Amino acid sequence: MAAARRISFLSARMSRPVETSKPRLAPGCRVSDLPGQSTVLLIPEGALQLNCPGVRIVSACDGERTFREIVQMLQQEYRSADPERIEQETADLLERLHVRRVVDF
Amino acid sequence: MNGLLSLIAEITYRCPLHCVYCSNPLAMSGKDNELSTETWIDVFQQAAALGVLQVDLTGGEPVARVDLVELVSAARESGLYVNLITSGIGLSPEKLEQLAHARLDHVQLSFQDSDAGPADEIAGATVHARKLEIAQEIRRYRMGFTVTMVVHRHNLQRLPQMIAMAEEVGAHKVEIAHAQYYGWAFRNRENLLPTRGQLDSSLELIQEAQARLEGRMRIDYVVPDYYAKFPKACMGGWGRKTMLITPSGEALPCHAAKIIPEMRFENVREQKLEWIWQESDSFRRFRGEAWMPEPCRSCDRRTRDFGGCRCQAFLLTDDSQATDPACSLASAHKDVEEIVQRVNASHSSAWERAQAASATRASWEYRQNPR
Repeated sequence: MAAARRISFLSARMSRPVETSKPRLAPGCRVSDLPGQSTVLLIPEGALQLNCPGVRIVSACDGERTFREIVQMLQQEYRSADPERIEQETADLLERLHVRRVVDF
Repeated sequence: MNGLLSLIAEITYRCPLHCVYCSNPLAMSGKDNELSTETWIDVFQQAAALGVLQVDLTGGEPVARVDLVELVSAARESGLYVNLITSGIGLSPEKLEQLAHARLDHVQLSFQDSDAGPADEIAGATVHARKLEIAQEIRRYRMGFTVTMVVHRHNLQRLPQMIAMAEEVGAHKVEIAHAQYYGWAFRNRENLLPTRGQLDSSLELIQEAQARLEGRMRIDYVVPDYYAKFPKACMGGWGRKTMLITPSGEALPCHAAKIIPEMRFENVREQKLEWIWQESDSFRRFRGEAWMPEPCRSCDRRTRDFGGCRCQAFLLTDDSQATDPACSLASAHKDVEEIVQRVNASHSSAWERAQAASATRASWEYRQNPR
């Protein structure tokens, strides 16, 4: 019910991707890209706004690329950024999405 | 202006179940008054053009509409994320295949309990076994799958079994929600309200299960606001994000708004969604803060809970402008406390709990269905 008071105790254990993780968007989750509107990640109970790298990360979650490959792809696209920071932030995003059951790996 | 983001389309009030906590109104219109296929499709297209992201197709039982597949397909084509909220009854494997083909995004399948006996008693119909079969069909497709379970004093002791059942049927998410006391649930609320002891142990149990199932199955838990210190931000605020359309086309800010007697609601047969959302008196009535009385008006929480629920305020105080009595700062909060105390006094001992557990054949008032 939309009128709900939700209680959540989610922690962040066990949800961090490792090098060989192959993240994939979970069933019921998809990227919406309607003309004239900003890109959002549609999930069962709402929508998540994504920034540009966020869109790239989520779109790369096809269940085939590994976490390592996704990070390398981003490091090549964003050459001026600190490579370690890219890895860190990609892992952070995927961890948050995994906890919400938006990305499986 | 607030952005309309989600649409709740109650496409029919018809339903094969008679749940004692149904959120539909006490008086419901029948099939003859339902919007046509074309009107619903037009509503979905208007909604998408306004920036709406998601539509919930619900009811009643939405599967009772013979044009369901066509509606899903049209909503999806107009760019909406389509969620079907169903009891599963009437959903044949063929129909499900057609829905998957129409690119339905997500199915929310309701269960009344983990045990068939009490589940069917609450539903007022023999449906539990069929729901389990439908769940097996749903998991064959790559679509979002949430199991919803309404909990209350008579079934909360089976929380572990309910979570196990949701895992077993392959749900990605289980939403366990206490009945909210509107509509038929308001009539049955003293039978539904849990004791404080039950609520406390359920919170511990949920916490443990969430940690154990992290990343595999998400668990959302919705507690009754009669036990809360502050009210819920009902619908995320009146006219802030969501619009509900009834089977006959009335546009409401929430499921229960029609109970407020002094309000008149617009109909999508006569007005465009954009005008209803932006200009109509009904959607502007409790939008923002200007309408708020004290203690809301000067309260720091007013931008978080928006004064709580207008319908609950009306149900409990006869005044739709009053602070939600679920709030500990509301003058009518003593009425909520009184009910909570009465339920706890008569059901808190182990003996009483055992009695309650075995005697669900309490005097339920069942939902009466329209044709």
